[in-house]
Amino acid sequence: MDKHKIMVIDDEKIVCDMAKLSLEQEGYEVETFLNAEPALAKLKEEKFDVVVTDYKMKGIDGMDVLKTVRTSYPETKVIMITAFANLETAIEALRADVHDFFPKPVKIKELKASIERALGAK
Amino acid sequence: MKIEHRITISNIFNFILIIIIIVTAFQNLNLVLTKLRFIEIADDLNTSFLEMRLDEKNFFLYKDKTALFDIQYKVDETIHSIDTVKNDIVKAVGENNLDQLNLDLQDYVKVINEIQLHSNYDTESATKLREAGRKLREFSNTIRSLERKRVNGIILNSKRILLHSSWIILISALIVGHLISRKILNSMRAIENLALSISEGNFKTIEHIKTKDECGSVIKALNFMSEELKNREEQLIQSKKLASIGVITAGVAHELTNPVNNISMLAQTYIELYDKLSREDRIEFMNKVEGETDRMKEIVKNFLDFSKPKEPLLKEVDINVVVKKAFKLMQNMLYISNIESKLDIDDTLPKIYIDENQILQVIVNLITNAVQAMQKNGKIFIESKLSKDKKYIEISIADTGKGIQPELLPHIFDPFFSTKGEGGTGLGLSVSHGIIKSHKGNITVDSKVGAGTIFTIALPIYNKEKEEENG
Repeated sequence: MDKHKIMVIDDEKIVCDMAKLSLEQEGYEVETFLNAEPALAKLKEEKFDVVVTDYKMKGIDGMDVLKTVRTSYPETKVIMITAFANLETAIEALRADVHDFFPKPVKIKELKASIERALGAK
Repeated sequence: MKIEHRITISNIFNFILIIIIIVTAFQNLNLVLTKLRFIEIADDLNTSFLEMRLDEKNFFLYKDKTALFDIQYKVDETIHSIDTVKNDIVKAVGENNLDQLNLDLQDYVKVINEIQLHSNYDTESATKLREAGRKLREFSNTIRSLERKRVNGIILNSKRILLHSSWIILISALIVGHLISRKILNSMRAIENLALSISEGNFKTIEHIKTKDECGSVIKALNFMSEELKNREEQLIQSKKLASIGVITAGVAHELTNPVNNISMLAQTYIELYDKLSREDRIEFMNKVEGETDRMKEIVKNFLDFSKPKEPLLKEVDINVVVKKAFKLMQNMLYISNIESKLDIDDTLPKIYIDENQILQVIVNLITNAVQAMQKNGKIFIESKLSKDKKYIEISIADTGKGIQPELLPHIFDPFFSTKGEGGTGLGLSVSHGIIKSHKGNITVDSKVGAGTIFTIALPIYNKEKEEENG
């Protein structure tokens, strides 16, 4: 069986590195991006099972990523993490069919559990 | 005294003067008329006396006895007419003179009666008669010339009074006008200066209000307005401060979230992978944690700098030394970023009172911003010069970077406003702005998208004594 593919987008390099290290322990194939533009380009080429994206980023932000992914690639689940956890953002993300929503600081165990649920639901 | 009262008093003074002139002129005119009446009477007397003397001559030349009756008749007529205007004559010549005239007339009549009685035509009686007639004529002549003199005197006097009072009125009007206008102009100047200083944001008041007039009231009203404006501005600043505390708190919270998250993820991963990590890996993890705490420290330090701007420690400093120091500090960064730089210093600039460290911080901050705004191969120009009005020293830092969009320009000095995304705290310019303001200077920005940005700091030139005087 092929490894599940996870994409992580966050403009904080440490987030990308730690997520990659930790998720690879679970046997996922992880690819990280510091901003959304190359990430969306990559999605055109390759199919990913789960996209974990930060909300606030320069240029294309997490909400744009969520909307683009859910419309163009309905098979791919999106998990959003944000430093600004407010109700408006959460509601907007829910309406755009986000799989899960984490405020920073993120608990990696919870993130892993959420990814598992996302893969199980497929 | 109020200006209105002063003008009224001066007007009343001039009015009284004019009334006095009119009354005096009127009185003099009356006097002239009376005197003319006297001259008329004297003329009449003179005519009568002349006629009498003519009759005398007729009597002596032609021995015409009727001439004596004629004289008698004329004397009676004269006495009668003197009686009718007795009061006027008394006024004109005085009681004594009138008595003398009557005596003379009686003498004259006596001589005529003697001649008539004794039919005495000898030379002695003729001489007596002539002497009496001459006296009468002299009398009337004297009165006439005296009255003429008096009339001339009165007219001359009137002319003099008119001339002098005109001078007095003119001079009083000029002096009062000058004094009042000078007073108004002085007060106006003080008011103008106050209004100008208020418009520049210095809410001073005029301390010693010397006058209690309308200008004094205007100054009082202006002072009140100035104090009110000062209070309002303080309130405004206070509410702005409160608002920015809100912004700052939110900003700090957000700024701290990312490093906190990073440390949290580093720790979680470290625990998870502890056994698999080599010694070097573990050290690297901890170095990363340390790096993130440095980042947090920087955020908090900036926040403290912003929330508690230190009072500048003013010392007499050559600004060019500070500019050169900042330039030297930034040399390495400029070299790494491959940025061409040009320093243009005006060596003739006067020394100014500044907090060297704070100004150095501002210049370094502006150069850092300029470097970060540019790709490699950019250019940076740093210049120090005297402002056009020679009241400020201007330091400008110009770059050939991407520029700032016009809609963002009004916000660049706001706390936590950044065009650098995650790379900037949004506090650098805000802190710089605070420092320059506490030096009573200005920091301005001029930018063109795609062409570059110029930041200009203007620091006031003043001597310490003057500054202490102004408080």
